[in-house]
Amino acid sequence: MTDRVPTGSARLDEILNGGLLKNAINLVTGVPGSGKTILSQQVVFNNATKERPALYLTTLSEPLDKVLRYGESLTFFNRDALQDGRVIYQDVGPQLSEEGLGALTATVDRALKEIRPGLVVIDSVRSLHAIAPDGAGYRQFLFDLVRRLTGAATTSIWNAPYSRAEVLNEPEAAIADSIVALDVKQVGTRETRVLQVLKLRGSGYRIGEHMYRVTSDGLQAFPRLAEARAQAGYDLSPSHAGTGIGAVDELLGAGGGYWAGACTLIAGPTGVGKTLMGLHFLYHGGEAGEPGILATFQENETQLARIVGSFGWSIDDPNVHVLSRGVVDMNIDEWVYELLELAEKTSAKRIVIDSLLDVAKAAGDPIRFREWMFSMTQRFTRSGVSLMLIVEVPDLFQLYRVSEDAISHLSDNVILLQYVQEDAKLSRALTILKTRAMRHQPMVRRYEITNDGFVLGDVISLNR
Amino acid sequence: MYSIGAVARMLDMPTSTLRAWEERYAITTPTRSPGSQRLYSRTQVEQLRYIKAQIDSGVSAADAHRMLSDELRAGHLPHATGEDSAEGRPLILIVEKDPYAAGLAEYFLRTEGWEVATAFDATQATLHFQERSPGIVVLDLLMSGGAGFRLVTEFSIDPNVQVIAISSINSADEAMRLGAAAFIQKPLEPLALVSTVRDLLGRSALVGVKRKVRG
Repeated sequence: MTDRVPTGSARLDEILNGGLLKNAINLVTGVPGSGKTILSQQVVFNNATKERPALYLTTLSEPLDKVLRYGESLTFFNRDALQDGRVIYQDVGPQLSEEGLGALTATVDRALKEIRPGLVVIDSVRSLHAIAPDGAGYRQFLFDLVRRLTGAATTSIWNAPYSRAEVLNEPEAAIADSIVALDVKQVGTRETRVLQVLKLRGSGYRIGEHMYRVTSDGLQAFPRLAEARAQAGYDLSPSHAGTGIGAVDELLGAGGGYWAGACTLIAGPTGVGKTLMGLHFLYHGGEAGEPGILATFQENETQLARIVGSFGWSIDDPNVHVLSRGVVDMNIDEWVYELLELAEKTSAKRIVIDSLLDVAKAAGDPIRFREWMFSMTQRFTRSGVSLMLIVEVPDLFQLYRVSEDAISHLSDNVILLQYVQEDAKLSRALTILKTRAMRHQPMVRRYEITNDGFVLGDVISLNR
Repeated sequence: MYSIGAVARMLDMPTSTLRAWEERYAITTPTRSPGSQRLYSRTQVEQLRYIKAQIDSGVSAADAHRMLSDELRAGHLPHATGEDSAEGRPLILIVEKDPYAAGLAEYFLRTEGWEVATAFDATQATLHFQERSPGIVVLDLLMSGGAGFRLVTEFSIDPNVQVIAISSINSADEAMRLGAAAFIQKPLEPLALVSTVRDLLGRSALVGVKRKVRG
């Protein structure tokens, strides 16, 4: 593989299959305000050394003082690096205005010999069009510049405020070895920043749009989860993850619980006890030394503490962690990294997502949601984490379908909770609809919610 | 990357000793090219130079290797014993088709105080080689339709010449089989170029002095 220059953002490097291309021309495009300058500076400060400094050239679009003033507020901006010559900023704007494009090639020539930079940023190249005599003259200039940069062992980053639609028709795109496009995408009334690799010579990369944010720590990317299907299908571990409800474990057959690493769907109407089933699963795991996470969009921590407490559990249980957030402005590709990070930090073995419909709504695009679901379940299954997905269904009594978007298809187990009308009384009933690789008892069982939680009762007939 | 021949010349010792040390002590083990040529890194040359210096000062080979392994474990990289390269000042000939790359390489070498000549094609290279007797030739293997490969063999036959083969694609194996003393992948990092030249010149200066003493 070609050598890489890390960007300073591990996830962006993941998208780029290791980082920007070393000793190559990397074009960073995007509308004004999309974060090109920040990304360039992030790469500069992460890679500059005394032996191979970084040279940041501003041309005719961004005055150097402005770049520096805003740059200083970034956490990676390092004054020492400016003082000891690891990072050198230079404004070529005035010379370009006076002498034309030759001023830039002359500056680069001199720098390659005297400063010997490992990295050269040109911010921006698009503004140079304006001072080129004509299209042919501009192409000749680009060619001369590339010849120089290619002859030296230097990585360059060219910033250009082109939109994704424009860039591929521009001469810079043909010359560049890689193109990273930053853009803003409108989904409904929401704006999302998306990053897309349009070109990366000699290497694969994560295709498609990836969400990113610009913070004072620089550009943080969230690679779209896009897992390949595991070669041998689901590879479930031989152990079981108890449901936390003894009678349900029995219904599930000999092993006592779900297969560890399986994905279980709990479907049912409002108030029927879906979240409670999730809590049983988590707190039972906690007691058995298997840390778990409740990822909820339904309750905040205070509400949750009350609910959990009423069944005799504690919200402060060291083995049960809560990831709670609202759905406003939520982005599933960003959120899933919060979940993945928390899962890694806590060594979680069980995760309950309450509810999946909140995630589906936040996703907006049903195709993307299905892809995301598939990737997420694959990722957790592979690492042996048992997932429980809670889905609310609109029908109170007779259910016509358990879930949309092929969620049940992706699940190993499907458990249905529903209301049953028995004369004037409203009962609750549980049915195990589907289990993968287990012999469950396909019976409808009555259950009650007591102070001790879920208590399974006798078999109930629905044909009244 | 250096060939075993180049390392042996740099340290003024037979290749058989280097192979014996590698087998016996397995501390400085060069990587192998796909064609099984030994490829030594700069750090490994420094390690061997350290061993050599210890042996020269009366330490046994086994003890010298033990000392090296202690140093490495302690995280110290043994110091280059640093023969000054500027002494011999033989001419360096750069044979490179790309005028920008050639210009940069020339600049980097000149600023180190070496005398440099440049050739842009095979004919020019042969002419310079015959007329100016360079001590080192920095040679692009892929120039003039692959003529670089032929030139490596031609130039390397001269015992007073060391060829540093360069190429955009990793051709260390072929280059060393043809007789090159070292290989560097393009584009040339200024430091890599300068230190390779310095290493190779270092040994020639050393050998030169020793020859004089013996004579």
